[in-house]
Amino acid sequence: MAEIKVLSEHYHLPEYQTLAGYKAKGGYETLPKAFKMQPQQIIDEVKASGLRGRGGAGFPTGMKWGFLPKNGEPRYLLCNADEGEPGTFKDRMMMERAPHQLIEGMIISAFAIGSHKGYIYVRGEYVYPIDVLNKAIKEAYDAGLLGKNIMGSGFDFDLDVYRGAGAYICGEETGMISSLEGLKGQPKLKPPFPAVQGYLRKPTIVNNVETLAAVTYIIKDGAQAYRKHGTEKSAGTKLFSVSGNVVKPGNYEVPLGYPLIDLINKECGGMKPGRKLKAIIPGGSSAPVLTAEECGKANLDYESLAGLGTMLGSGAVIVMDDSQCMVDMLGVLTHFYAHESCGQCTPCREGTGWLDKILHSILEGRGRLQDIDLLIKVADNMKGKTICALSDAAALPVLSFVTKFRDEFEFYVREGRSKVKGTTYAEMHH
Amino acid sequence: MPKCTINGKEVEVKEGTSIIEAMQVSGDRIAHYCWHPGLSVAGVCRLCVVEIEGNPRVQIACNTMVTEGMKINNTSEKVKDTVKWGLDFHLINHPLDCPICDQAGECGLQDQYMEYGKYDPEMAEAKVKKHKVVDLGPTVVLDSERCILCSRCVRFTEEVSKTNELGLFNRGDRTEIGTHDGMPLDNKYSLNTVDICPVGALTSKDFRFRQRVWYLKDGDSVCNGCSTGCNIKVYYNKEGLFRIKPVYNEQVNGHWMCDSGRNAYKFVNREARLLKGIARGTEMAPGAAAKSASEVLKSTSGDAVALVLTAQYTVEEYEAIIKTFVEEFKTKKVFFWINNKETFDSFDGLLSRGDKNPNTKGLLKVMEKYGISATWTDLSAGLANGSIKTVVVAGPENQAVFPEYNEKLKELSKAQNLIWMQAGKNEALTALTGNVWIIPMKTFVEKDGTFINHSGLEQKIKKVTNVVSEALTVTEAALLLSGKNLAMPMMAPFMPTNQRPDQVELEARKKNEFVFRRGSL
Repeated sequence: MAEIKVLSEHYHLPEYQTLAGYKAKGGYETLPKAFKMQPQQIIDEVKASGLRGRGGAGFPTGMKWGFLPKNGEPRYLLCNADEGEPGTFKDRMMMERAPHQLIEGMIISAFAIGSHKGYIYVRGEYVYPIDVLNKAIKEAYDAGLLGKNIMGSGFDFDLDVYRGAGAYICGEETGMISSLEGLKGQPKLKPPFPAVQGYLRKPTIVNNVETLAAVTYIIKDGAQAYRKHGTEKSAGTKLFSVSGNVVKPGNYEVPLGYPLIDLINKECGGMKPGRKLKAIIPGGSSAPVLTAEECGKANLDYESLAGLGTMLGSGAVIVMDDSQCMVDMLGVLTHFYAHESCGQCTPCREGTGWLDKILHSILEGRGRLQDIDLLIKVADNMKGKTICALSDAAALPVLSFVTKFRDEFEFYVREGRSKVKGTTYAEMHH
Repeated sequence: MPKCTINGKEVEVKEGTSIIEAMQVSGDRIAHYCWHPGLSVAGVCRLCVVEIEGNPRVQIACNTMVTEGMKINNTSEKVKDTVKWGLDFHLINHPLDCPICDQAGECGLQDQYMEYGKYDPEMAEAKVKKHKVVDLGPTVVLDSERCILCSRCVRFTEEVSKTNELGLFNRGDRTEIGTHDGMPLDNKYSLNTVDICPVGALTSKDFRFRQRVWYLKDGDSVCNGCSTGCNIKVYYNKEGLFRIKPVYNEQVNGHWMCDSGRNAYKFVNREARLLKGIARGTEMAPGAAAKSASEVLKSTSGDAVALVLTAQYTVEEYEAIIKTFVEEFKTKKVFFWINNKETFDSFDGLLSRGDKNPNTKGLLKVMEKYGISATWTDLSAGLANGSIKTVVVAGPENQAVFPEYNEKLKELSKAQNLIWMQAGKNEALTALTGNVWIIPMKTFVEKDGTFINHSGLEQKIKKVTNVVSEALTVTEAALLLSGKNLAMPMMAPFMPTNQRPDQVELEARKKNEFVFRRGSL
């Protein structure tokens, strides 16, 4: 087993959810150490660790913190727990199993960046994790770990959970800020970046749950201990949420750079009996798909996957076996993005809907051969042309699915049924 | 002052200028819907794309600042293709209802199509159906299907009127603008949303379906609705005036004007106007009525004559009539009829002022010049004791802002002789009998002159059109009242008999290929 449990070591313990259970395993022992450090030392340590944002973009965390202006304005720390990407469920487990780990990471991070107010923005559907977090926050307040003068350090930090109303795009940092401000969850133009002008137009750092949780480990054991795992450019471990046609779907923590195929075969028990690997989306549904052949060459790090034209993203590995119809799969994904586009930028608003309509025409047997190229043209003209990455998220799967599995699309158009399943859309779904 | 190159031309701009603003400076055309100079940058229509040397991707010009040495291009094939696709995205769900759309002729989408479109559509799917004829409030109607969600109107209510009635609802291609629950679009500036709508999604209830815009001419003027003096464009044709829109003036009104100012065209139109003069109950031409009144003024001069002025005329007109009264009729009994005095100094923080006259400062300036210090109490006393025998009144032009009109009329009609100069009809006035003269006057769109606004800014107004050609200006009336004759107007410049003044030049026609490709349509 290549799993290295830096973050998830105690996730199997039910009591780890509570303050007592967390403390029993050394929880909140890093805080006094952090308070003795200068904030800049913490930022430097995080920079030295090579920690990159685990939400999807993979931006170096310490560098992001360094963008905060030094003008004495109030600043905010937002934890992005709006986990809405299809296939992604790692943050949910962290919040359910180790809420205090996140809280401790947030306190250290807030101390480092000089923030006295933080929010955990959670996907609205995550009712149980929200409940767990709220209980943990109350415990932390009662124990003097949140609020005024934490552990006698003179540092104040208040933390609240904000329950999102349920929009995928609120996981995008500026969309999340809009939502937190009470507006419709729509991304904002950058620049200005949130670090300069974010929540309530004040400097704001937005980090993913996993990123913030990793900060505790980095400060506790040091940047070099963290760097022992992973690769030069992709340091540390990462939680991968594996779903699809594997024997044991679930969350697995492995060092970055770990071979994708080993994750499937060793950690997840391989493909379901009698089935062959067909394709994998390695980083959440917005990442371009890899064919089985490409999967064999892929390592789970930012660089290796970028080299194959895809991305690590949020680490949501969606595995498809040879029974999957790629036209149908793409139809599901495209429908999701058409539903979730915030409606702000024209290419995304209209393009996602257009892609959805074309795919459903094909799926319902009304497709034309030129529709396959049209899918590519529409997706091409959505990519990189909008405020946020949702347009890309919708376009990239289309481009990769249609390019890599074109024969299935052509077959579907000609025959009006799935090449893999041999059935029509109606038969597939009823 | 960074220098950049736009389509090969070097342009120097102020620090912090966006590319789209730099292109306004350089005169280069650039497609855009959501960008508006009076609103924040939204960057959502994605049409104002440019290529910047050294940058692999096209960028939007509205949210990219010019930096020193930047090389910008918006004529490359890459940009054209992006704009063409951007247009396609805008059009796939847009209804093809130009023939019945109120914005036809001044629609950004039509313009863009003529510039970048003209190709076979690739969309074979059914369009998304949205709501039509949505009643947003007392002034504006929405056609959601036509809306391209540029969000200008939403930003206007957030940033300018600060009333926040509008919002974007739903997601994806189901997104529609609308009003928040129980909050109609009902503010003093609501019709600006219609002006800034680049397509025919928001239409003015007042204007929609009344005229095709290509049947209208326009002329610049200054609003006479209040002492702000918003710069405006008046749209008219031989049937009358149809609408008023704001014209940008940074010093005065920026890009906006209030809804009540837009109504000014209504009292200018012929159906609201006095067309004939009346002299002691006999209808006659306005000039003849003034001449007739001059006989009375000859016989009663000095302190027996009083002049009552409203602040809705031009400086030149005040100069002419006050001079006539002071120098020829030897009276300084000139009175300022103040409407709504208690709110004269109020201001809503944006444009609308309590002083509902365009030229209070101008009137006061001329009165001061002639040493006029009479107050309304003097007039009331003079009328009560009979020392004032003849009263000459000029105004009001916009009767709606003079709520005490009828009381004042009652008071002034105590005079032996009443000479009333006014543009609009008024039943109470025309019902007066006895020694009453009524002289139809021209309105602010029918004459040249100067208004001085609340801040002392002098603004020239030019004649836009003639609605009641027989009506007089106060200057003309002053001449006639003093027994003089009007000079003959200047001859219009010579024009061949076969050429209309508004005839479109051939070169301008060539730009419209429909004219030359009729057979292919």
